[in-house]
Amino acid sequence: MSTNIDHIKEEHHHQPSGLMRWITTTNHKDIGSLYLWFSLLMFFIGGFMALIIRAELFQPGLQLVVPGFFNQMTTMHALIMIFGALMPAFVGLANWQLPMMIGAPDMALPRLNNWSFWILPFAFAMLISTLFFESGGPAAGWTLYPPLSLQGGNSMPFVIFSLHLLGASSILGAINVIATILNMRAPGMTLMKMPIFVWTWLITAFLLIAAMPVLAGAITMLLTDRFYGTSFFTAAGGGDPVLFQHIFWFFGHPEVYILILPAFGIISTIIPAFSRKKLFGYDSMVYATASIALLSFIVWAHHMFTVGMPLAGEIFFMFTTMLIAVPTGVKVFNWVATMWKGSMTFETPMLFSLAFIILFTIGGFSGLMLAITPADFQYHDTYFVVAHFHYVLVPGAIFAVIAAVYYWLPKWTGKMYNETLGKVHFWMTTVFVNITFFPMHFVGLAGMPRRIPDYAVQFTDFNMIASVGAFGFGLSQLLFVYILFQTLRQPVTAADKSWEGAEGLEWTLPSPAPYHSFDTPPKVD
Amino acid sequence: MNRLSILLIIMMSSVSSFADWEVNMPRGVSPTANAAYDLHMLIFYITVVIGIIVFGVMFYSIFHHRKSKGAKPASFHESTTVEIIWTVIPFVILVGMAVPATKTLIMMEDTRDSEITLKVTGYQWMWKYDYVEDNVSFFSKLDNKSNEARQLGSKIDVNKVDNYLLNVDNEVVLPTDTKVRILLTASDVIHAWWVPEITGKKDAIPGYINELWVDIKKPGVYRGQCTELCGKDHGFMPIVVRAVPRQEYVKWVSLNQKNRVADKSE
Amino acid sequence: MASVRSTITKLSIVVVAMYGFSYALVPIYDTFCEITGLNGKTNDVAYTGNDIKKENRFVKIKFISNVANSAPLYFEPAVTEMTVQVGKPYNTHYVMKNNSSKQLHTTASPSVTPGKYAEYFKKIECFCFNQQTINSGEIKDLGIQFVVDDDLPTNIGDIVLSYTMFDITNNVMESSKL
Ligand SMILES: [Cu+2]
Repeated sequence: MSTNIDHIKEEHHHQPSGLMRWITTTNHKDIGSLYLWFSLLMFFIGGFMALIIRAELFQPGLQLVVPGFFNQMTTMHALIMIFGALMPAFVGLANWQLPMMIGAPDMALPRLNNWSFWILPFAFAMLISTLFFESGGPAAGWTLYPPLSLQGGNSMPFVIFSLHLLGASSILGAINVIATILNMRAPGMTLMKMPIFVWTWLITAFLLIAAMPVLAGAITMLLTDRFYGTSFFTAAGGGDPVLFQHIFWFFGHPEVYILILPAFGIISTIIPAFSRKKLFGYDSMVYATASIALLSFIVWAHHMFTVGMPLAGEIFFMFTTMLIAVPTGVKVFNWVATMWKGSMTFETPMLFSLAFIILFTIGGFSGLMLAITPADFQYHDTYFVVAHFHYVLVPGAIFAVIAAVYYWLPKWTGKMYNETLGKVHFWMTTVFVNITFFPMHFVGLAGMPRRIPDYAVQFTDFNMIASVGAFGFGLSQLLFVYILFQTLRQPVTAADKSWEGAEGLEWTLPSPAPYHSFDTPPKVD
Repeated sequence: MNRLSILLIIMMSSVSSFADWEVNMPRGVSPTANAAYDLHMLIFYITVVIGIIVFGVMFYSIFHHRKSKGAKPASFHESTTVEIIWTVIPFVILVGMAVPATKTLIMMEDTRDSEITLKVTGYQWMWKYDYVEDNVSFFSKLDNKSNEARQLGSKIDVNKVDNYLLNVDNEVVLPTDTKVRILLTASDVIHAWWVPEITGKKDAIPGYINELWVDIKKPGVYRGQCTELCGKDHGFMPIVVRAVPRQEYVKWVSLNQKNRVADKSE
Repeated sequence: MASVRSTITKLSIVVVAMYGFSYALVPIYDTFCEITGLNGKTNDVAYTGNDIKKENRFVKIKFISNVANSAPLYFEPAVTEMTVQVGKPYNTHYVMKNNSSKQLHTTASPSVTPGKYAEYFKKIECFCFNQQTINSGEIKDLGIQFVVDDDLPTNIGDIVLSYTMFDITNNVMESSKL
């Protein structure tokens, strides 16, 4: 390990400045910041697309865009939010936090780390540029189901190539995370003493390594079907379009947990800090996370109950899916038990975490309803599903990222954000997120399909409410950006241990944290 | 934060008091749709009860175990007994849900003893219906009024269009109190056929055939839509089923029947 | 750092293996479909066995046809319904007509519903095993010889057999150019 540290120190001395510093950096904090800023940018681009969608859906009839462009917006919104906003945000947090939390100087593979970030801007530039093609961007939904996706215009090979790049970036990032966690922990830090955020990221990284290559395989088959005469997915050549859905969701369901397990880790860090009490059931949290990850590989077909499976298949996937409620329930109960008889205060990170627990659980409830196959025949591909996954991804995953940023910002910058503004941001975000997504349950149950640019007039009221909420939510996030910049302009005043109840090695470092986290590994007992 | 519990109460009372706001799944007119509705309500009430208990405990803790009220943190952080209990109880509840769900599923998948067969074929962007035994066959697409009104910049007030986006040129006519087997396939890309009040949806996949069954118990007009993204006009391929008594259906068939052999020389 | 290197090696193997696994899913899926009747696909090579015994029970088979992508083809079953004795071979045919002004190449994809009975529907001879070439205006009879396996469960409803005819002229032209 000592050679590695020398190597990093050496680089430190020849550090270039200005733009070159960011392009050539191998420092985990620099790269973490790059990931986080990039994710924020993508969050606004994807959010802008969401607002185009909501503006068109504000009232029935087409007012703003043609249906083909609307489909491009729903497709791109999903791809950008999943691969551009959420995944990079979590990788950014991992970069910043993992070395500090395990007592390491940096990530195990600093140069690889640089590459995995710098792939992203190129991949997204290519993806977004397809919108300016004459035949438009991808419009078959982010799930790229054939035969529809095979009908697409010239964008298809570009979309697939950029997805390959994004997959490669995630895989490199995941390898780095695992190599770091398995090899660079401070002496004395056994696996079962690792902070829970480290645990959730370790499991997430394994999910990435198992799932992303499967996506790569699926989209490569699409590409050869379109251009090289194979027929994996076309019935004319003996293929089966449903096979694509099976392979896609074999990746897709673990992907869902890739987006939520690190969020669980964040919430499991913040709730104890502001309850001033140790996390309840650390062991069962670890086991629950691991079992959710394992189960995620045998539930994929619940995304496609309506393709017409044999009864035994439907029953199997219904049961395994319902089973996921057990470890997820354990997590929620553990969080509540952590708060129980604690000594709680309600700073912004805690508020976002509490909202996470409630709203994510509501998303979990609708998920349980969706697991019930006969009822799913009614819910499938309606706004009920849209409401469900936005509840787990927006007040779920995104709230966790925001909570993490508020929580660790003083450690990263040495500066404290404005607590009042943080609370205003929280309340605006939470109110608007519900105004946006709660009515979607209603229109979905009443029969409104998803991915449609126009709707029957009886769905008008709730769509109007949702659209108002969406614009409110978007505006509230501008306040978040303001808070971030305002914080960066503050003088350095934050204490090393910025929160009274915070636990973990990162709080033993000065604020802001030094360029190389732990030059000498700390002792953990 | 109380807002959330209010929302839950609203959801619970939604069925009756918000009837004209259409916040819930419609009750069906066919055994399969009815069964789906019953399951939906059952699972919904179970989650509401679980939600009230869990969030109730959480809010109690938030109000009473706060630093500003002088709460001192306890030191417990694990209890094997408690953790086993809250692993086992959800499991038992799940089994309780799985039993009726499985029964319903078996009932839904049983297409035996159907009296007539309707073949539905999805096209970009319309439906074709073939009455297999009765030799009736036609295409069905969005009606002209909706189609004009839905164009970008049409300046037509869609609120004044009859059943905007949910009306077709040719309705599907089905007899009531008759088990109808519906075969689904598609010509080009995947579509899905869904009329919420009579049946859940199923995909229509090119090259493959799927099936479901309905047995409509109440005459009436039932509307639905394509529910699998199928290209630019995915939002504009509605389904209208008119359910009529058996004799009326027989009359309709005799008026619309065509000669198979004549068709061949076209 | 030897341990980091070994971690990377192991993980890289997993990545490559999972990529391979996605392709392995194709044959796995086919096998799985055959066992469970997942997509209602029937046998795509002729059944040549002789272990099927005639039984004194009957099952109704309905014949359905589709033309993919609105190709200029007339394609219909000659008989729409047959009540057949389990274990006894039968013949029937579909009729195809080329309504276009040029020669077409076509291929048919079979599908059975309920899918779980697909495996009992054994084709001894079928036009779907081969591609067809049909001249402009030509009418062709496309034959099937089949037998229903005596392993077929009892108390089942009607079996529906559907063929979808695809116009693959463009693909055939392209590959002949190569
Ligand atoms: Cu469609």
